[in-house]
Amino acid sequence: MPSTTAAAEKLLLQMVDDYTHREISPQDMAMDAAGDFPEGFLAKLTETGFLGIMLPQEFGGAGFGPEVTATVLNHIARGNASTAVTLEGHFKTIDQILKYGTPALQQQLLPSATERIFAFSMTEASGGSNPMGISSTATREGNHWVLNGDKIMITNGGLAQVYCVLVKTAPQELSVFVVDQDMPGFSFGKREDFIGLRGTPVGEIVMDHIIVDDDHLLGKVGDGGLIGDSAHDDARILMGAVLTGIMEHELKIATDYAKERKAGNTPLTDLQVTHRKVADIALRKETTKLLYQRAAQLKAAGQPYSEEAAMAKAHGSRAAVSAGDDALQILAGYGYSREYPVEHLIRDARAMEIAEGTVEKMRSAIATAEFNK
Amino acid sequence: MKIVVCIKQVPETNDVTIDPVTHNLDRRGLAGVMNPFDKNAIELALTLKDSRDDVQVALLTMGPDDYAESLREGMAMGADEGYLLSDRAFAGADTLATGYVIAQALKKIGDADLILFGRQAVDADTGQVGPIVAEFLHQPQITYAASLRLSGANEVTAERLLEDTKQTLVAQLPAVVSVRSELNTPRYPTPRNIQLSFAKPLTVWHHDDLDLDDSRLGQAGSPTIVTKVYAPEPVKRKLTPLTGTPSEAASQLITALKNRQLI
Repeated sequence: MPSTTAAAEKLLLQMVDDYTHREISPQDMAMDAAGDFPEGFLAKLTETGFLGIMLPQEFGGAGFGPEVTATVLNHIARGNASTAVTLEGHFKTIDQILKYGTPALQQQLLPSATERIFAFSMTEASGGSNPMGISSTATREGNHWVLNGDKIMITNGGLAQVYCVLVKTAPQELSVFVVDQDMPGFSFGKREDFIGLRGTPVGEIVMDHIIVDDDHLLGKVGDGGLIGDSAHDDARILMGAVLTGIMEHELKIATDYAKERKAGNTPLTDLQVTHRKVADIALRKETTKLLYQRAAQLKAAGQPYSEEAAMAKAHGSRAAVSAGDDALQILAGYGYSREYPVEHLIRDARAMEIAEGTVEKMRSAIATAEFNK
Repeated sequence: MKIVVCIKQVPETNDVTIDPVTHNLDRRGLAGVMNPFDKNAIELALTLKDSRDDVQVALLTMGPDDYAESLREGMAMGADEGYLLSDRAFAGADTLATGYVIAQALKKIGDADLILFGRQAVDADTGQVGPIVAEFLHQPQITYAASLRLSGANEVTAERLLEDTKQTLVAQLPAVVSVRSELNTPRYPTPRNIQLSFAKPLTVWHHDDLDLDDSRLGQAGSPTIVTKVYAPEPVKRKLTPLTGTPSEAASQLITALKNRQLI
């Protein structure tokens, strides 16, 4: 008999595959066209317990570990990457509250994470990859902190109700606080009109004199850089998983089409040019899968995983764009048409060469890690 | 109120082969999933449980150890406990021998007010085990229920959906009911309930745990003999073309029908 953990994970993935097949995949094209989730889509996802997959059971979640959580996003992304990325943004934020929040803050916030979406916000108009370039501040006033600033390009921005925000507590000091949309001084700004992952809302929040207590600080004052890096690391594993799912989708479309289509009298499956492209898509998919699973294994084992997480996203994002390009070429005119999903999969994958740190920044982090060995 | 839902694990694939010796379905080595129609029966039980405080839902299946996976899935949907009947002596059973063991297990569980089945299993498609169990237990049965409600302290009312008609039947409890998929949309097991299902009781009963007549077990206790499995040849029908203008073709058709005394 398999272990309880293995049996539960098998049952979870069986449910996720069933749910993805019946509820998520059918909405993929419509979500891209509409640039939003359909009516009732997130409510059903929430009701079915997806928001609490990795949340510890003591807070009302299911308490699944990093490896199977990443695999869940991999499987969801086979049907729709936007849904998987919305969950990625939620899970990485929960992870930071678990790592750096006080027990009181965790008890206050996390039970609602099965019903409310959480988000982590770093970017501002004045700084994205350069966190010290941000302008938002938290200033000490009496026994409280007062937060002011404008955070943009937040995954789940406008959808989420709880936000971890990176702010300056001194000119060269970064800290992270947790704010709630119900706090006085909190408001939403504009939603981005991005070309890919169009189902995932990406938007802006404005903090105008939001007052929070010390217990809304994650970690210590000055830990902002550390927590931001940690959030990136956790997100990059999950993005590697999402990218693997996108490539599995691309591979299926390409092989299904090649098995039916002929060039003249020759089936596409008999052509060496098709073999080359299909093999390359499969190689890219499999290498990305191994990279994200490796990073997730290290995380589950309590080992450092920052470099491996960066590798999963750096390799996987370009791999998924290239794999989509090959799939598009196999489908030729149909691949270039909006009637087929290949073109939007390329746009979806392209987002992850930028989000959670650019691929250039990933390579810099990987190189630095190698120099330090 | 105690509801027992009898479920079956079936091969995940449609690509099932036939054992060349026994002519039975060869399920060896195939990954299994819960019979989809059984989820409708579980959903009905859970809907009744949601509407009342006193409902306990148990699941029952017969098969190898890995059939516990389907019991866990049903418990993750919300059932309270599971029973697995597993023994080499039960192997090779047809619907009668299966129904016998299940009926004996239901007697041991005792006090079940309502026994539910899916309308049939998608692998063998007989739909026989529910009615057989009802006969063994001497309980009223309603098959192919498309709706069901508790209509009194000790009765259920079901609408029975047949090919060309509907019947409304009332049965005294305890009763056996098999349900159609039109009845409901089964809920998904939530991730949290999947985890929590492993803390729920799952009882495994072997041969010696039940009061059984060995002559009624397994292949030896199965009167069904599969002599041949084949796809029927399509019936070749004579085709008489109707020719000419539409009016001429209509006349030919009317003449042909009159000649056959059909009109």
